[in-house]
Amino acid sequence: MNRDKDLPLTETTYYVLLALLEPAHGYLIMQKIEELSSQQVRVAAGTLYGAIENLLKAKLIQSVKSEDKRRKTYVITDKGKEILRLDFERMQHMISITKELLN
Amino acid sequence: MRKFKYFIDYDKEEKWLTEMAKKGYQLIDTSFGYKFRFTKPEEATIKIDYRTFKHQEDFIDYCTLFEDSGWQHIVGKKNSGPQYFKKIDKDSDDDIFSDKISKAGKYKRLSKMFIELAICFLPLFVAMIATEVIDLDIILNPKLLYLTPQLWDMNGELFWKAFIFETPFALLRALGSLFIPLCIASFLFISYRAQKLYKKNTN
Repeated sequence: MNRDKDLPLTETTYYVLLALLEPAHGYLIMQKIEELSSQQVRVAAGTLYGAIENLLKAKLIQSVKSEDKRRKTYVITDKGKEILRLDFERMQHMISITKELLN
Repeated sequence: MRKFKYFIDYDKEEKWLTEMAKKGYQLIDTSFGYKFRFTKPEEATIKIDYRTFKHQEDFIDYCTLFEDSGWQHIVGKKNSGPQYFKKIDKDSDDDIFSDKISKAGKYKRLSKMFIELAICFLPLFVAMIATEVIDLDIILNPKLLYLTPQLWDMNGELFWKAFIFETPFALLRALGSLFIPLCIASFLFISYRAQKLYKKNTN
């Protein structure tokens, strides 16, 4: 099986995609990630900026019009949703096989 | 106060700027050396990223993201490269990067920038050789820079006197031919050092 070159996602990019199922700007993404991960993951500004840049380049997210002139707003693309689903299935497989072998 | 220093290793530069802040020197500009303003000493956390931006709105968005998360952008312009940040929110983390790979990424961008700069200078170098603005013979054979008749046949004290007398003039003559090649060589050197730091920081 040929796996997509964007897989597997890093923890940061996975959470960014998850956070962008609804449109958000940079700082809101940081807050959402903290919330989604139950305060386990804190992404710093420099790291988030680089992750957003890479996701834009890979067309997994896109920027959308926003009224805030100082903050750009992004949202996940269809391709991004597809990748998110594939990574989710990949991890689900890992979880089920681990459950089977570890018990 | 102005200080002239050059860092490739950002960890060392951050450390130095933190020490300067402790002595009360606050960084205000880096366009020509490091310019400081003397204020009250403070325990500052200063971090550096390396980025250039295509559009002004990208630059504003970038600075706003940092400011939202507790880091004040203190020095840096859209195209200047190094971007300096100071922690202003006590509750923020102590770094502007939260993983090793993205922290090392600035060295990759720095290395790429200088290799591109070197490549931009290459056509200029070739053109200057073609139009004989740069004399290749001089680079290959520096003896040609000395115009005193029969200098190289002289001996002893006479030779050294004539040689030392003419050296400043020879260096001036060389400047025109050596300036661009030296620029290219230093760009390549910086790029190489940055690449090494990238590797060091990702391992």
